[in-house]
Amino acid sequence: MCWSPSPTRARALLAALLAAIALPSSPAAARDESIVVGVSWSHFQEERWKIDEASLVAALKESGARYLSADAQSSAEKQLADIENLVTRGADALVLVAHDPDTLGPALASARAARIPVIAYDRLIDAPGVFYLSFDNRRVGRIQAEAILAAAPRGRFAFIKGSPQDPNTEFVHAGQLDVLRPAIADGRVQVVGDQYVDGWLPEVAQRVMEQILTRSGGRVDAVVCSNDGMAGGVAAALGAAGLSGVPVSGQDGDRAALNRIALGRQTVTVWKDSRQLGRAAAEVSLALARGTRPDQIAGATPYTTPTGKRVPALLLEPLAITRANLGRVIEAGWAPRASVCRGVEPGPEAPAACRDPQ
Amino acid sequence: MPRSAVVGAPSPRTRVRAMLVALAALWLALALLSGGLFLSPRNLVNLAVQASAVAVMACGMVLVITARQIDLSVGSVLGFTGMVIAALQAEDGLLAAPLPWPVALLAGLALATAIGAWHGAWVAYARLPSFVATLAGLLIFRGAAWLVSDGRTLAPLAEDYVRIGGGPSGTIAGVPLPVLVLVATALGVHVLATRTRFGRHVFAIGGSPRAAELAGIDVRGVTLRAFALSGALAGVAAVLTTARLGAGTNSMGMQAELAVIAAAVLGGTSLAGGSGSVAGAVLGALWMQSLENGMVLLDVTSALRQVIIGLVLLAAVAADARARKSAT
Amino acid sequence: MSAPALELAGVTVRFGGVTAVDSVDLSIGAGEVVALVGHNGAGKTTLVELLSGALARDAGEIHVNGRAAALRSPRDAQLAGLATLHQHLALADNLDVVANVFLGHELRARSGLLDERAMEDEARALLERLAPGFAALREPVSQLSGGQRQLVAIARALRLHAKVLLLDEPTAALGPGERGRVVELVARLAAEQLAILLVSHDLETALAVAHRVAVMRRGRLVAVRSREELDAASLSALIVG
Repeated sequence: MCWSPSPTRARALLAALLAAIALPSSPAAARDESIVVGVSWSHFQEERWKIDEASLVAALKESGARYLSADAQSSAEKQLADIENLVTRGADALVLVAHDPDTLGPALASARAARIPVIAYDRLIDAPGVFYLSFDNRRVGRIQAEAILAAAPRGRFAFIKGSPQDPNTEFVHAGQLDVLRPAIADGRVQVVGDQYVDGWLPEVAQRVMEQILTRSGGRVDAVVCSNDGMAGGVAAALGAAGLSGVPVSGQDGDRAALNRIALGRQTVTVWKDSRQLGRAAAEVSLALARGTRPDQIAGATPYTTPTGKRVPALLLEPLAITRANLGRVIEAGWAPRASVCRGVEPGPEAPAACRDPQ
Repeated sequence: MPRSAVVGAPSPRTRVRAMLVALAALWLALALLSGGLFLSPRNLVNLAVQASAVAVMACGMVLVITARQIDLSVGSVLGFTGMVIAALQAEDGLLAAPLPWPVALLAGLALATAIGAWHGAWVAYARLPSFVATLAGLLIFRGAAWLVSDGRTLAPLAEDYVRIGGGPSGTIAGVPLPVLVLVATALGVHVLATRTRFGRHVFAIGGSPRAAELAGIDVRGVTLRAFALSGALAGVAAVLTTARLGAGTNSMGMQAELAVIAAAVLGGTSLAGGSGSVAGAVLGALWMQSLENGMVLLDVTSALRQVIIGLVLLAAVAADARARKSAT
Repeated sequence: MSAPALELAGVTVRFGGVTAVDSVDLSIGAGEVVALVGHNGAGKTTLVELLSGALARDAGEIHVNGRAAALRSPRDAQLAGLATLHQHLALADNLDVVANVFLGHELRARSGLLDERAMEDEARALLERLAPGFAALREPVSQLSGGQRQLVAIARALRLHAKVLLLDEPTAALGPGERGRVVELVARLAAEQLAILLVSHDLETALAVAHRVAVMRRGRLVAVRSREELDAASLSALIVG
């Protein structure tokens, strides 16, 4: 049976639609109940993003604000469309996880024209007036390099970096070099491999690591790897070459990485409690939507971008997680002990957090 | 060995010979540029393992393309099936009581085959163009791969399972298990394509769908089975990938379908249908992986690698088109 | 008296609002050749497609050697004993002669794999019977002449133990020399007790080889005459109406 549109039916539908739009109009723009926060996610490939989202949404719900979102699925074009869409749907503030920050010009212009404050979440958007909310990514790189250098003070190092389009890749790498440059300069550390990995893909990192191992005759003393997903691929390649235990770094604090640290197959991960970041995004976006000036937001400091612009920013401190302090992530409820300590024999040799049998 | 009854121009045999020459030429060039490192036993072994997942899927793609269809979903099916296999056996996975890995593996293969058959049904019975049906599959199953564990990486996997991915304990008589799986798959699909009724019917349908129909061939049934096989082999590739990585990650196999189709086409399978070679496709996969492998060895950046692979692929297919034209 | 090889009663095919075949009654005996003639659009091709299993009928009954035939698919038609030589021959150009003779009905060895040797031997025997000296067994059919391609198609039809052979415009793609061969071939096949329905625009060949000629006009069978009653002129008149 087909529903066929007739003039009377169409009119009735139109009337119903207009009523639906008109009814819940609320005049008070000052109350949070009517604030709409639009979030444009770059992708959900790494597990941390779901955690960011959960925290952000929870904080928004607490103050009664509404949450709109879109997933750009790692496409710059889609992200542009997503942002336009969020503006159209009435966002009072935008939180953007930029897939490719250099392509967001048109979207930022729209937001500016509509007087919608924009927050760059986790990834810097180098444009005037965009609030930068992230963990100090350069610090992330420094933490990774410090931990690696502590475990392997000299030798042949490989750099496995992230996606070339992601500005964080360069910040992290800059941090790594901040710590390693002196050692490289005086020859204590020789760089035997240095590659970007498109899309931060673990499988690609695995293949790249295998090639670096071949190039260096299987002699690699440490791998400065920029995130946990790729560290998984690197660890698999090292394991297959009989080099399990060579220091490897990571970022994100994902469960598989925490387990590798407990088992001695990864040295450090940088924990950015994305729950903190998600919550901060909710608070900052609500504050900006209410009209608070960016420089008056608690904890905000001015930040100078690579092109010399000064933008308001809130940078949270990341934390190094190694064998010694695995307990921190467990106590904070970030990862269950069972996952972190899987496969670890309880006893004096085990990391502190896994020492007692469950 | 009986002479081939399939006589596309140039013949499959000529094509395989051409691919072997091309492979030798590439290896020689890379060996020279890398000071011999490319041909070191370690690198060649790595190369064979790195190429195995794509090569396995290329075997299935040959039959699909020969039947005048295309399967764009293989990368996503690999990702989804791999995640399911990991989720069923990992302690942190889907099940409170994880399954023994052989059960998870078989379940994954069955799932992959069913997905392939599902695509085949859309194409054969609902008469959807295969480009559309499998593009839908590409999207659906990539999303599904993520949904399996909400994006979380699933690790660790059973030690014996991980052996299947190669590594020092994953060899038989010094040959890595993924390579053995590839060889067995390639032989099996080759026999299927050239020495069975099913294979003969695939070639007939690709060469002349109307003739096949009028000759009484069950065109729809054969088409469905070709897609089911393609799905099954994506499942095999999923096993190889998850075992090698020692984990299920939701981005596995992303964009693999492009490499798989390129391998088949490089190896002599014509996108017009009716002509294809399994051996050629395996060599094609090996050729492309050699290019990628060699370039990382030479420290070429990833962007430049992509440009080079794209240009080389274009040149190879253009040369192939010219060869076909002059042969007829 | 035994049942005719092929019997059509009230066969009707309609599509798109047009009645392409309108209540056709026709019977052909074993060893008889009936030529079916008529203008383009008279319904000849539709009738052939129906009998080859490629189309469904809207009304009427079809019997082959007394047994009712449903003809739901090409395979159905083949199983019922109807073999069709389509105008464009339905050969797979990317396969060789042997593969085409056995297309859809390949022989298998006990292992389940194709028995190439047996197929080659049988194809050779068949083709020798039809055209002594036919050597090109492993040639791609795309390289053969029109007449040779036709022989391959006929060999396939004969393999299926057909009782009735439908030939759709068998001389359309042939030169004059090869046309003569078709006439000979048809006569020989009829002598082997096949019932033959030959659809043709080529009135000369039709009259040369047929025992009876059936004329279709706008879907209806308007006349059936024996060869003795006809010549080219009277036949043309019947076709035009």
